This record gives sequence, structure tokens and C-alpha cells, in this order.
Amino acid sequence: MDYRVNLAARMLANKRGSLIGAVLAVSIGILVIHVNFVIFQGIYDAIIRDMTDYRFGDIFVSHEEEATIERSHVVYTNWFERVPLVQSATPRLTGSADIEFRSMGEFREEFDVPVVGVEPVSDIQASKIHTTISDGQYVYARNSIVVGETVAQDLGGVRVGDNLKLIMTDQGGDENSKRFVVTGISKTAGGQGFDTSVIVHIDTLRSLVDRPNESNSIFVKLNEKNPEAALEIRKQFLAAYANDDLKAQTIEEAAEQTLKGFRSGIAMINLIGYFGMGSSAFAIVTIQMMLVNSKTREIGVMRAIGAKRKDILMVFILQGMIIGAIGAGAGTGIGLAYTTYAKETNMQFQGSLALEVNYNWSKIAETALLAFFLAILAAIYPSYRATKLQPVEAMRNV
Amino acid sequence: MSDIVLELQNVSRIFGEGDTQVKALDDVSFRIKRGEFVLIVGSSGSGKSTLLNMIGLLDKPTFGKVILDGKETTTLNDGQVSQYRNEKLGFVFQFANLLPDLTVLENVMLPQQIQGSSEDIRQNATDLLIKVGLEDQINKRSNKISGGQAQRAAIARGLVNRPTVVLADEPTGNLDSVTAGKVVKLAKTMAKELNQTFIIVTHDRHQFPDVDRVITIIDGKAFDGKQTTMEISA
Repeated sequence: MDYRVNLAARMLANKRGSLIGAVLAVSIGILVIHVNFVIFQGIYDAIIRDMTDYRFGDIFVSHEEEATIERSHVVYTNWFERVPLVQSATPRLTGSADIEFRSMGEFREEFDVPVVGVEPVSDIQASKIHTTISDGQYVYARNSIVVGETVAQDLGGVRVGDNLKLIMTDQGGDENSKRFVVTGISKTAGGQGFDTSVIVHIDTLRSLVDRPNESNSIFVKLNEKNPEAALEIRKQFLAAYANDDLKAQTIEEAAEQTLKGFRSGIAMINLIGYFGMGSSAFAIVTIQMMLVNSKTREIGVMRAIGAKRKDILMVFILQGMIIGAIGAGAGTGIGLAYTTYAKETNMQFQGSLALEVNYNWSKIAETALLAFFLAILAAIYPSYRATKLQPVEAMRNV
Repeated sequence: MSDIVLELQNVSRIFGEGDTQVKALDDVSFRIKRGEFVLIVGSSGSGKSTLLNMIGLLDKPTFGKVILDGKETTTLNDGQVSQYRNEKLGFVFQFANLLPDLTVLENVMLPQQIQGSSEDIRQNATDLLIKVGLEDQINKRSNKISGGQAQRAAIARGLVNRPTVVLADEPTGNLDSVTAGKVVKLAKTMAKELNQTFIIVTHDRHQFPDVDRVITIIDGKAFDGKQTTMEISA
């Protein structure tokens, strides 16, 4: 082993307090980045996950200009379901309704409640909204309705088995109403599902708004998450129906408005994390300056017996490298342990949506390398100061 | 090979400027031959440490030349001076000044490691440590051995590169009289065995009764010969 490596390591090992302090500074910097990533990227990915599962699928088809797609959805869903990578495709129609509810003799009314029409069989295959039924079961008949928990509460506590009346205005301006039996209450952590809507059979909704065979959108779910495949399938779909004025969006495009603000927030939080890491560099500078000051005598002796400035520089730069390596290793280790814990426990905060935790290996490596090089960078100034010690001055401390 | 290993030609060292100027060394000239055991004596503040710094290439004279092993050293740059110190000089300090983070053996190996020597560094250092009687202390941390043992290790470190001159600054100053006697005896034995030039700076002439030459420093001036400080003052 090179004597400078040996000396650098021994000097650090014999100054355990300084070593631990500097390593902690590097580790905490990395840990902050990991925790930020797990929490904020986890929330972001969880929102995308839930929006994909409940609202948009992997590909979301709608009309380019009109509110509804007039052509029968069967044409499109059949096309998608012939693609091997597609799990299922299902139509949806949306509208809004006034709801009347009478419970224990008390009359309640809610206005402009979003109504989602689904085709129960294919919807169960394509989306996961049916898994959000906390009480009862999903829409299964023309007169069954699933009520979002928020709507249920606003109506004074709707329960499974209750009767509701929906009043809607069709495209001709006529008011239509229908009574439904509540079959389920839908609730999602984080509210990305249909907590503020009601869900009915799509055919019932079509009748109520007088839009036979129409739908607003086609929800397409792939067998597994595959953004490249989604883009390719979308391209082929649009080419196949080039004259239908359809637009097909990936989840990122469909949910762009929701995600845009969140991405800015994540960037800001990451910036704070990196700023924290930068602050740890100042701690390393301070600790290494203390180390250099405490080793003035040794520096003088080394210079007297022939060590050149570059040898002294190397000893203290190597210390920076050792601190960086141990700190990056420890910080990454603790960060990964935290990430694993968050993933295994489906971490969530006070009933919010469960974090979608992923191991982003390139970011983990990038953070560790950044911390390592930052520690070396922080060692440069103290090392330079060490080389500036004239042997005769350093020897005065002898 | 010239017999003269060290030559000082009209060396002066002045500190400060104007009214605060202090002449620590004043026109000092002498020559030292290979294998000589030389004592530089002087009272506190006489300029002997400044002289040691000049000879040890730790400081440069304001005027004059320091010629070590035939080479004028005052014109060398920092890197060259470091290399020259490493190759031509061995240092033994008052408090031994072994690096406390290293073992005794690693301390003795250090000058050759700095040199990047291709020799068997570990073997050379071990042989020297055996010669100075520290075979049992080789792998101990250097701050875990006694003062006398540390000084013997320092002598081994000073000799390991087979330097032209070994400079010892008050090598017995921190030791009790019995241990100091042993260290002096060791230095003399090594000097004789290896035909090694030793220059010892001390304020205590009596610790070194049998030397080849004594250079006495009084108020920055050097007086060469075997006279005592008292004789020169008179």
C-alpha cells in the first residue's frame, strides 16, 4: 500500500471524532436526498399509478374536438384487444347530475355531481376502480350505483342498499331522472379515484343523456407498465383511425396538468436536498481544517524528511476520498435501507395514498458519486493549506 | 568523491526589516568532512537553531552559500530541496518526532518510501531497528514506546536513507542522563560503523565528551575548534 494512503487512513482512524463527524455530514446529505426521493417521488409515482389504474389507463383515447366519441366504442376496444400487449380496453362516459336522497325522512340534495358511466365487465378487467369499493360491490346492473365516499357523506351518510335519484339533462335539453340502488361506496387513499363522483352502468347513463352508443373515452390498460410500448400502440392506433379525429394520450400526457405542478415541487425539494448536501461539504472543509491544524507537527516532520508539497496534498486529498467513500457508502446503505422499508411496508402518511417506491439505481449511483466528489472537492482547500506550511514554521510546533 | 560533505560560505541570516532587523547568523563559514562527529554548541538564542535550519535546508540564508555534498543548495526550488533533504540529510529531533499514527517500523520506512526507493524498504528498516536494539518494538505504535526508545527509532529513521549528513537537534534534551548516555553512545557507534557524518546541535556540551569537532555559536558567529564556550568567551 502506498505510504500516503496508509498515513491518510491512520491519521483519520486516530481522529475518530473528526472521521465520524465528516462521514456523518456526507451520509446525512445523501440520506436527505434518498428520503426526499422516496417521499416525494413516491407520492408522484403513486399519483401516476392511481391515475393510471382509475382514470386514464396506459393509453387514454378521446375525441380531438368533441366531448364525446360518436362511433361505437366496440370498434376501438376490439382493435386494442387484438394487440397482445393490451390487457383490456373499456369505454367510459361522463356527465353530471343532481342527486336526491331521502334518509330517515330527511331530504338531501346535491347538485352537479360528476357521473361516470362504465361497462362493468370490461371495466373490471381494464381498471382497478372496482378495488376501491370499501363497502358493497361494484356496478353490476342497469340500476345499480356506486357512490364516492365524499358524495355519500355530503348526502348525509348514504349506505349500501339505499335508494338515490339522479336527475340529468340530455343533449336535447330535456330533464331525465332515474332511481338507483346503492351497491357500493368507493373510497381511495389520496382521492385519486371517484370519491367525489358516482359510478353507474354506461348504458344507463347513455339513456339518461340520450347519447346511445357514445362514450367520452376509451381506457386502455397494458399487461404491464411499458411506456415505450404505450407510445408505439398509440401511434399504430391513430394511424389505423386517422380519419376519426381521435387523440390518444399516455398517462403523462393525459394527467399533465395535475403532474406539472407536482414536478416543480419535486424539483424544488431535490434542490433543497442538494443544497443540504452542499452544506455538508462545508462541514467537511471545517473538519479537515481542524485535522490539518492538529497535524502541523507531523506535516513539518514529513517535510523535513523529504516529503514534497504534492505528497502532503495527496495525504489530505486521500483523507477526503476516504471520508467521501465511507460517507457515500454509509449514506447510500442507510438510504437504501429506508427505501426498502418504505417499499416493503407500502409506506403512507395518515391514510394518504401508499407511496409508490422504486429503486432508481442511476439516481442512487449519481447521488453517491456526487457526495464522493463533493467530499474530495471539500478536501482541496484544507489540503492546499497543508502544503503551504513551511517546514521551518511547522517545526516550531515541534 | 570529495572529502568535504558540507560547506557553509559566509552564511548570514537576517530576520525582520529596518529597526526590527535581527542578525541571527553572521558570516558563518566552515567545512565538515565525511565521517566527522561534530557538535554545534551555543546558549539559548545564540543562533544554533537557525544554523541547523540552514544546514538542514529548512530555511535559506539571506547571504552566503550552503554546499551539501558538492551541490550549492540555495538556488534549488522547493521540490528539489525536498528531494535533496530526503536523499542527503537525516534528521533526529529533540522529541524524536515519530509520526504517532504509524508504527515504529513504518516511521523508519518513511524516508525511503518518500524517496520511492526500489530497495527492500521493510528489510532495511528492520535491520536498522535491530541495530539500534528495538527489535521487540517494531510493530508498536510509535507513541506507545518510551522516550529513549523513540529517540533510538528516530536515529534509525535518520540513517535509513544512508544520508550524507545526520542532523540531530538536542537529541538528548528530553531524556534522563542514563538514557541520554545510551543514545549518545548509540549515535557514536552508528557513526563509526557506517562512517556517517553526524552534526549534533546542543546546549549541553558535557553530554558529548568525545567528539571530533566542536563549533560554538555565540551571537550568530561560529567559532570552530575544540574549545569550550567558556574558553571562547574568555
